[in-house]
Amino acid sequence: MITASLFNSFSMPAFLADPSAGHGEASQHLAQLAEHAAQHPNAGPKWVLLIVLLPVLGFVLNAFYAAFGNKSKIPAWTTIALLATAFIATLSMFLSYEGTPYTVQAFEWFNLHYGDKSFVANFSFYIDKLTILWMLFVTGLATLIALYASEYMSHDIGLGYCRFFAAFCLFVFSMACLVMGDNMLMLYLGWEGVGLCSYLLIGYFYKKPSAVAAAKKAFIVNRIGDLGLALGVYLTFVHFGTVQYSELFANETLHTYINAAATGDFSHIPAQAQWIALLLMVGAFGKSAQFPLYVWLPDAMEGPTPVSALIHAATMVTAGVYLIARFYPIFLVSEHALPIVAWIGTITALLAATIGMAQFDIKRIMAYSTVSQLGYMFAALGLLSTTGAAFHVLTHAFFKALLFLACGAVMHGFAGQLDLRKLSGVAWMKGWGIVGVTMLVGCMNLAGLPYITSGFYSKDMILAEAFITPGYRMIGWILVFTAILTAYYTFRVYFRVFVGPQHAEPGDEHDDHDDHAHGEEQNHDAGPHGDHHSDHFHPHAPGWAINTVLVILACASMLSISLAYIQKAEHHGWVGSMVAESSASYHSPYAAEAHYAHVEHTDMHPVAGPVGTAAPGKVFGMDAHAGMILVSGLGAIFGVLVAAYFHGPKGWQGLFIGGRTESDKCRMDAIARRAGPLPRLAENKWFVDEIYAAILVTPLRIISHIFHWIDKLLLDGLVNLFGFLPRVFAWVIRPSQSGVLQGYAVSMAGGLAVLLFVVLVIVMNSGGAA
Amino acid sequence: MSQQTVLLLALMIVPLLVALRIAFSKNPDTGYRPALITSWLLMIPAWKLIADFDFSQGATTQFAYSISWVESLGLNFSIGMDSVSLLLILLSVLLGPIVVMASKTAIVKDKRMYYAWLMVLQAAMVGVFAAQDLLLFYICFEFTLLPMFVLIRKFGSTNRVAASVKFFLYTFTGSMMTLAGMVYIVWFVAQPDQLGQWTLDIATLTQYASNMSMGEQTWVLLAMLAGFAVKVPLFPFHTWLPLAHTEAPTAGSVILAGVLLKLGTYGIYRFAIPLAPTAFFEYAPEIAVLSIIGIIYAGLICWVQTDIKKLVAYSSVSHLGFCVLGLAALNVTGFSGSILYMLSHGLSTGGLFLMIGFMYERYHTRDMNTVGGLASKMPIWATFMVFFAMASVGLPGLNGFPSEVLCLISAFQSDAAWSAAGEPGAWGSSLGPWFAVFAGTGMVIAAMYLLFMVGKICFGPLREPEDHHPHDELPTDLSMREIITLSPLAIGCILFGLQPTMLLDAISEPVNNTVVLVEQANGLESAPTRVDQMIEHADEHHESAATPDHHTPEGASHE
Repeated sequence: MITASLFNSFSMPAFLADPSAGHGEASQHLAQLAEHAAQHPNAGPKWVLLIVLLPVLGFVLNAFYAAFGNKSKIPAWTTIALLATAFIATLSMFLSYEGTPYTVQAFEWFNLHYGDKSFVANFSFYIDKLTILWMLFVTGLATLIALYASEYMSHDIGLGYCRFFAAFCLFVFSMACLVMGDNMLMLYLGWEGVGLCSYLLIGYFYKKPSAVAAAKKAFIVNRIGDLGLALGVYLTFVHFGTVQYSELFANETLHTYINAAATGDFSHIPAQAQWIALLLMVGAFGKSAQFPLYVWLPDAMEGPTPVSALIHAATMVTAGVYLIARFYPIFLVSEHALPIVAWIGTITALLAATIGMAQFDIKRIMAYSTVSQLGYMFAALGLLSTTGAAFHVLTHAFFKALLFLACGAVMHGFAGQLDLRKLSGVAWMKGWGIVGVTMLVGCMNLAGLPYITSGFYSKDMILAEAFITPGYRMIGWILVFTAILTAYYTFRVYFRVFVGPQHAEPGDEHDDHDDHAHGEEQNHDAGPHGDHHSDHFHPHAPGWAINTVLVILACASMLSISLAYIQKAEHHGWVGSMVAESSASYHSPYAAEAHYAHVEHTDMHPVAGPVGTAAPGKVFGMDAHAGMILVSGLGAIFGVLVAAYFHGPKGWQGLFIGGRTESDKCRMDAIARRAGPLPRLAENKWFVDEIYAAILVTPLRIISHIFHWIDKLLLDGLVNLFGFLPRVFAWVIRPSQSGVLQGYAVSMAGGLAVLLFVVLVIVMNSGGAA
Repeated sequence: MSQQTVLLLALMIVPLLVALRIAFSKNPDTGYRPALITSWLLMIPAWKLIADFDFSQGATTQFAYSISWVESLGLNFSIGMDSVSLLLILLSVLLGPIVVMASKTAIVKDKRMYYAWLMVLQAAMVGVFAAQDLLLFYICFEFTLLPMFVLIRKFGSTNRVAASVKFFLYTFTGSMMTLAGMVYIVWFVAQPDQLGQWTLDIATLTQYASNMSMGEQTWVLLAMLAGFAVKVPLFPFHTWLPLAHTEAPTAGSVILAGVLLKLGTYGIYRFAIPLAPTAFFEYAPEIAVLSIIGIIYAGLICWVQTDIKKLVAYSSVSHLGFCVLGLAALNVTGFSGSILYMLSHGLSTGGLFLMIGFMYERYHTRDMNTVGGLASKMPIWATFMVFFAMASVGLPGLNGFPSEVLCLISAFQSDAAWSAAGEPGAWGSSLGPWFAVFAGTGMVIAAMYLLFMVGKICFGPLREPEDHHPHDELPTDLSMREIITLSPLAIGCILFGLQPTMLLDAISEPVNNTVVLVEQANGLESAPTRVDQMIEHADEHHESAATPDHHTPEGASHE
């Protein structure tokens, strides 16, 4: 059954069978939007460039501070001020947007003309509502997290502090180029730029081998994705003759393809055009940590926590979602791309959730949860819901940043302790109340508790989409199951670390307690806490900067519920209204049917998952949205209760079903002992890293060594043999003298002989030919 | 003789005179100061040449000058430059002061000899790019060998003798074959049914060379490639390079990577392609395959090196593969990308060799297992190291990116099937997407080995040789002189990365002409865009017919 549904869903025609629905209109709408930008190039207001320039200025200033040995918090304040200004500029860009996309050019970058062809990619920016949506949360969160980091990084004031904020600014610049660029090369510049910043910031504690290895891994795994993206960009140019958005989206060929795809007929779309989406997709999988390229993200937690929050949870990793949303028209004309995206997203969501359940490091749990939630976003894209994906990106950005920052506060206060077995009742400790409350808000959002959390609304939109799209019911059920797991592992952290009896063992290293191989050097990085020992350890409660940021983010997470109700009827919420005026604009034809027509398609799509008897668009005989509210809401509550039973403390803090009285013992331990190798496998991440090492890295390494020896012995050996011949020759002729000079003379003679030979051969050859 | 011609001559003659002055001075430790001053002063005529160069006529040989030598044999001494030569001359002149400054503390004895040969090398490099007749080109081409041989042999590290001999013999043997090929062309053109008189003028030779039969062209191409492929170096003729680079002094490595390797690709672009256009078109896929093997093979070898200088040396082999790939694509994007690559590789790899040199002066080892984690001790050095490594990886915004993009796009575009199918199509030779895909893996491999290098040498816990003691003259981190040495390269990398358009404009005319030359020699007409052809399948755009004359060659020689 599963296989059948999988195969069935890999072909788009069934999927887009109805030409009248959505598709053609989307094509027209897109063409109108893009043509406006193409006809009025460089028409936007120049101050928009500020959003890009201010972070660059921040980078330069921080570099100067570093050069002049600044030892104060000035780098942080500079960064915060500049980024806040950039946020205000973004806000005014949003408020002054008049409904049509525009471009603003900074300067010419690539401009290669030959004949009537040209390869143009300028340093210019394309502003539509998708851009604005992304930039709003990128600059907003960057400002907040810079404020948080001003306190978090204060143990490293001096060169490290400047280095941190310089890379931070460079990141915001790169992200702005990625999101705002008006052509695919600008996107690629931003794409690699954020990769570089990620590399520099993961490797911030550069004396620590694990951090250096994690940084390297992140960059290289991303580069594999980047190769796909780059090839996709080149293929776009070769096929459509442009990499500029305004020209690409107005391209007539593309619209011919879109209309063909709308009828379900992909046979007239050249394979070359269909490959573009498949290649771009690889790039998205790399940057957004999707299976099989997700392995770098959990390791990226070696970086300082503000970096994990901003780059590896809220912004950079959503670049893949942005990429697919931005090039949605190109994905629509590829027969297999979107189904693959949907399935990869689903598999990733499930896989990462299972690993997250078994981890003990709270930051890594959050990392796996990020991978899993990104999987939801990809599933949404594959299920023809760009709105669902974008909405989940937005809500996730708030609550995941909040969760990371709260975990970071714990890590900061307890000398790098991240093991949930060694911490308990943190919320009740003096000065930790705000962290406890905001963490609870974050956990509720991630778990998706019904009605009261924004995470619930965005996740519900994705789940409902899976049930109304024929052939994807299986995905729907996997995602519902994953949602239960999510609620479980999220509240596992909360019940163990934040409530219950108070207990805390400080970490003796800064970041990584798993790796005991390196003892002493890390104390330097751990700052003043590293020297403490548990007997006289006093946790270091967060200061005002950290608390303020946590409160703001908690409020933002809760307030973003309201976004679901703005323009709900027309666009499924505010985010939908933003997406609707961009190249990501697309309405699944099935969404319209499910809501307004209630057409039953059972016969047309015979394989629709385990509940194939129910009509598509219905769950338990209900409208998909109503059904999903019920199912996912109950699932989330069930997950929380399971977490409370197995990990919750005794009494009301454990919802009266928990039984934990000590920090490191709970009911789950007994279950885990009896579950055989499963928990251990999950804790070791299903050994995916080891499998990669065994089947990819090691063989490649061996091949490289073989090449090295071939080079040394075979190729160079042949050359040496060749070089040796003249000497032998010389030795035969005149055995009494030998020497290097002799060698030259003979080789010169040999060369001349060869020369004459060649000339003769050619002369004879040409004589014969003539 | 115009003023600019005098300046161009000065770029060649002044370093030679200074070399003589240094060589005949009495003090064996003299040389640094005159060499430094000369190399800085040479920037003035170089600057003046750019200012006066008419970039709108980039393909025309400008500032040309010719003296007849042996008239009956057509032997001339003629110089001049089009925009491609100009840019390469600029690169050579820019590297001059950099290598001299980098040698200040590295060379401690026999300074007289060292700086004299360095100046000779400087003159020869300008000469090879400015030459407009075969004889001068060949003389200068060979004359770059001798100074480099001496630099490696006298001032190299432990295994220098073997390295210098292999370097000399290998490249010399190759260039003998190049000479054979060139002589044949001269002989061919001198035949009564061709020009009927002896000439060595490159433009004239190019005009008649395409009259050669396919068999002749193939032989000539093979002969010329024998020399150029060794220089580039193209797989499998690269084995001299790692040895020579590793043993050469820093300045030698910088010049070798920065300019001398480019003689190979420049030779292919300037001679092999125009003089044997049909044969090159025919064998372009094979040449591209070799270059792609080089990209992957050398890249993987880099990844398992422990000697940091050998790593960077092999990375040159890998990088130059992209350069040859662009040439083999035989289209405008490919040539543009390839010429950009010649320039950009000189900046970033030159920078990496300087970084290694500065480290070597302090630690006297190149073994990354012995020395590493230097970021904590030498933060400025580490910053530059990461910067040049990223430039070399091809990070967008820096110099490696534009050239890499264009070379890969060119392989994608390159598809002669469009012309074979009766469609007029100037899509170069028949490479196609798979070439781009395999060459593209070089991007990932480059990240692997360069980050491996940076991770070992810059990051991790500090590792120093046991007998390490601080250098007498040099500070722990980079000195001001060293920073000034690196800065032009770093600034160059950024400007290059942000303003490739300037360079693309400058070289667009000569590049277009070369493409037209190849097309005409192979009976292809200039084409409508590929995009138009794709649209034909969908709708009625196919009426936007080919306009075959839109690349009208400007250079008089190609008419």
